[in-house]
Amino acid sequence: MTTPPGHGPGGTRPPQPARSVTLPPSETVFEVGGLSVFYGDHEAVRDVNMNIGARQITAMIGPSGCGKSTVLRCFNRMNDLLPGARVAGKVRYHNEDLYGREVDPIEVRRRIGMVFQKPNPFPKSIYDNIAYGPRVGGFKGNLDDLVEETLTHAALWDEVKDKLRTSALALSGGQQQRLCIARTIAVEPEVILMDEPCSSLDPIATAKIEDLMEHLAQEFTIIVVTHNMQQAARVSEQTAFFSSEIDGSGVRHGRLIEFDETGTLFSNPSDQRTEDYISGRFG
Amino acid sequence: MTSRTLRRRAAAGTPGFLKRSQPRWTERVVKVLLVAAALVSVLTTVGIVVALIPPVVEFFGKVDLGEFITGTDWSPLFEPPHFGVLPLVTATLVVTVIALLVAVPLGLGAAVYLSEYAGHRVRGTFKPVLEVLAGIPTVVYGFFALKAITPFLQRFWPGDDPPEVFNALSAGFVMGIMIIPTIASLAEDSMAAVPRSLRDGAYALGSSRMQVSTRVVFPAALSGIVAAVVLGVSRAIGETMIVAIAAGGRPNLTFDPLEGMQTMTAFIAAAGIGDLPTGSTGYQTIFAVGLLLFAITLVMNLISIRLVRRYREVYE
Repeated sequence: MTTPPGHGPGGTRPPQPARSVTLPPSETVFEVGGLSVFYGDHEAVRDVNMNIGARQITAMIGPSGCGKSTVLRCFNRMNDLLPGARVAGKVRYHNEDLYGREVDPIEVRRRIGMVFQKPNPFPKSIYDNIAYGPRVGGFKGNLDDLVEETLTHAALWDEVKDKLRTSALALSGGQQQRLCIARTIAVEPEVILMDEPCSSLDPIATAKIEDLMEHLAQEFTIIVVTHNMQQAARVSEQTAFFSSEIDGSGVRHGRLIEFDETGTLFSNPSDQRTEDYISGRFG
Repeated sequence: MTSRTLRRRAAAGTPGFLKRSQPRWTERVVKVLLVAAALVSVLTTVGIVVALIPPVVEFFGKVDLGEFITGTDWSPLFEPPHFGVLPLVTATLVVTVIALLVAVPLGLGAAVYLSEYAGHRVRGTFKPVLEVLAGIPTVVYGFFALKAITPFLQRFWPGDDPPEVFNALSAGFVMGIMIIPTIASLAEDSMAAVPRSLRDGAYALGSSRMQVSTRVVFPAALSGIVAAVVLGVSRAIGETMIVAIAAGGRPNLTFDPLEGMQTMTAFIAAAGIGDLPTGSTGYQTIFAVGLLLFAITLVMNLISIRLVRRYREVYE
């Protein structure tokens, strides 16, 4: 990200028309229209509209409680698992309604994987963590090869090749999180959702995850929720800024405020609320 | 600022100002009471073992240990007496195995259902009901076995050889029903304690509910589940009333569950309420069988602890 002098966060800038996205045209993976998510009677997120392109990193930023994680969990139907959660509006994945009657959430999750905030390896060996997804998916090939390929792909092989049979919980936090990413790609999904993947890690471990994300973005579509604006600026092509708003009847709900190319959103936001947030005046 | 705060500030720096300002003898009394409460069960166990030893030593002064362990004829109260304990041991084994065949699948099935499938409301209703089942007096179960299950089996038995009036099958079956709540409730507790994050991770990899339950939650909860089963086994081995009522009082060396047989506990109960003179060999047999029962449960517990250490998946 480059910031022209005088146009940095907090600086004055002349009004400009919103710039169009300058990325090479990319196939649309997700098409979200009028998406609202309810927890019981409470509307946690209201009217989100965004399109997400293939093989790039899309970041979702915003203050706590703005609904960015809630929206993320709509993409692989993890919200189904929360009692009382309900989704309204359109989430289309390659033109197929993700919430259609015939759609099997298990099939969805095999194509759209997820990495969580806190590393959550299974209390099994490193090998079995990687092999878990392929096994439950009915993988018939050579598991040993798959495990090696996957760990190599996730840049973890050299660190763990001599202790594949030891518990994954013996790894450091950063390694555990990379193992969770590896475990996700072992299923060969198309999309990887990451819900604040570095929030419990130190800066060095965070840098390794970011490298891995950029490397994986050549083949996978990645959507990452992050609290860390520098991270969004470093790794993502597109950024969505969410905030929580209070409507006329005093109800608080999350809204998508601005969605643009990352460089534009950070250097030249078109909404005052975005600018306030990225310049640290709010949140 | 309150005057108390002011006084405290003023005292700071004077010699000994950090000394205890109030006596705390209640703390000590409470601690003594709590230690005493914890010691009661330990001391009782030790006391039981100590009380068992002298009569048992005397017993084996008169009866050969080899005959006791390997003998196949148990008639300690008749003339001439025989002290082969095997018929009692096999009876306990047969009844316990039948009980477990009933209780382990049903109990663990119920636990998986309650922990992984049932909604909040179903769980809230089911678990208390299950626990009421655990509170039914065993004498009621015993008569249920004798007066309901046995006649049912005799009436609808498919083969030519229906069960006897007293039989191990009815007793074992009803005993299994009795220990379902123990196993289900404890196993459910330990499965419910498995962190949500592990389930989320498994679902996110495309697991079905069954796969999450059997491949992630079950192994992570294994130590609690084994503890639940072991407690169930201990209850089955130690259960007296059901077998005394429904399995009969005849020592019988057989593995045929359709026959009547006397378990170790049923013998102790029957001999214990009889009029055996203190110090007689017959009286001492009660203690010998009791100690054997104790030893069997102890060994079983030790084995299960080792099994758990080996196979459990420790989270966090």
